[in-house]
Amino acid sequence: MKPLNLLALLVFLGGLAWALTRSERTVRDIQATYYRAISPFLTGGSALETRSREFLKEVEHSKMLEAEVEAMREDFGRLKLIESQFRKVEAENSALRRALDFKERTRFEVVASRITRRNPATWWQTVEIDRGEESGIATAYTVVTDQGLVGKIDRLGEHQSTVLLLTDEACQVSAKVEGSPEVGILQGQREQFGGSPVLRLRFLSRDARLREGMRVFSTGRGGLFPADLLLGEIDRVEPGPLASEALVRPSVDFQNLGTVFVLTPQKEDS
Amino acid sequence: MIRYTASLVILVLLAVVLQQFVPPLAPLFESRVMLVALVFLCASSTVPAPVMLLLAFLCGFITDAENWIGPHGGDPEIYPRPVEPLHFGYSIALYAVMGYLMQGIQPLFRQGKWQFSAALSGIAVFLYLLAEYLLINFVRGGFSFTRWTFLKIAFSSGVTMLLSPLVFWLLFRLADWSRYTIRFDGMKRRKRAHAF
Repeated sequence: MKPLNLLALLVFLGGLAWALTRSERTVRDIQATYYRAISPFLTGGSALETRSREFLKEVEHSKMLEAEVEAMREDFGRLKLIESQFRKVEAENSALRRALDFKERTRFEVVASRITRRNPATWWQTVEIDRGEESGIATAYTVVTDQGLVGKIDRLGEHQSTVLLLTDEACQVSAKVEGSPEVGILQGQREQFGGSPVLRLRFLSRDARLREGMRVFSTGRGGLFPADLLLGEIDRVEPGPLASEALVRPSVDFQNLGTVFVLTPQKEDS
Repeated sequence: MIRYTASLVILVLLAVVLQQFVPPLAPLFESRVMLVALVFLCASSTVPAPVMLLLAFLCGFITDAENWIGPHGGDPEIYPRPVEPLHFGYSIALYAVMGYLMQGIQPLFRQGKWQFSAALSGIAVFLYLLAEYLLINFVRGGFSFTRWTFLKIAFSSGVTMLLSPLVFWLLFRLADWSRYTIRFDGMKRRKRAHAF
């Protein structure tokens, strides 16, 4: 090996050792700096993506309407267009109403945010949202929708943050089953593909009497998630020699996440 | 050389930005085009080992800064078996291994047979993803490897490999612009033969 190459390799190994020995706090600082640097691109790109998606939707919509107009009389077509626009607005309105209602019903201070990017990493189940440190969000804050628990904040930027989804193996929630004394740890599974993820509820008692459809809630223990957040429903139980496990269908539709809410510390306590 | 190295660093940073807007390909088992890895792999074929190591450090560092997931936290009495996160910096080592792999067939690349390097970039991405997945299994325990995982890795490497000619073309343009000789020996020989 040439001396220069050997020297470069030694310097590289030194750098690698430095990186491998960074503490969690330092890594978080590195991540914050990285996201701060990349933030303008993400914000700009996200806006561009939204506009292009709207444009594509518009194109698709127009084509559909064009086919209808060809088949019907002109005035009927015009009415159809108005009707479809009305329905779109109505659906939007009802979604917003539900969101507002949820905001009113919840016992926490919430920050509404929009999903800007899905599955940015290869192996982790995460999404990115358009709120960050600036909105009072911090690492490990709980993220929910009106359907139930979505996950928790993992990486934090100034204007955006990454949510580790409930479907990821690394996201564990202390959970209880409604109508039974059973408690356990609910977590995602390593290989979650397709549109119907399944969670695993571990550490149940050996002869857990659970039925399909029983609802699973967070216990609030462990200092990570608040109590009584809906997590999902029991799909089936797998008895084991020492402890049983249950497969749980999440209550949240992770494929169609649009708006989520980040729970921030309760002001009513102060 | 310095100008070419600097332009490679800029190209890597551009790939990092572009990567943010490349969504996973849902019909192809949620595979993804790995732009940063691709730029690194193609660039590794054109530079000496010290520059390759510099790029490996840069790419690995950025990859981990972007993707590293922190420890679970919470009360250890309630969460007795948290899922272990991968160490920050592991990607740097993986990138270096891939870089050395690409440098292994650098003589062929210098003879003008870039197709081998293009094919190897796909294989390197495959090995990178496989190593990353095996590492997750090793750290977290409970080995599992399904057909879906294999297809996700295979399609990711395949789709990424398809873009390698474009990146090589870009690198040759950059080399021309920065007056860096990639040492295309094969072409030179052919040119000489034509001259005679």
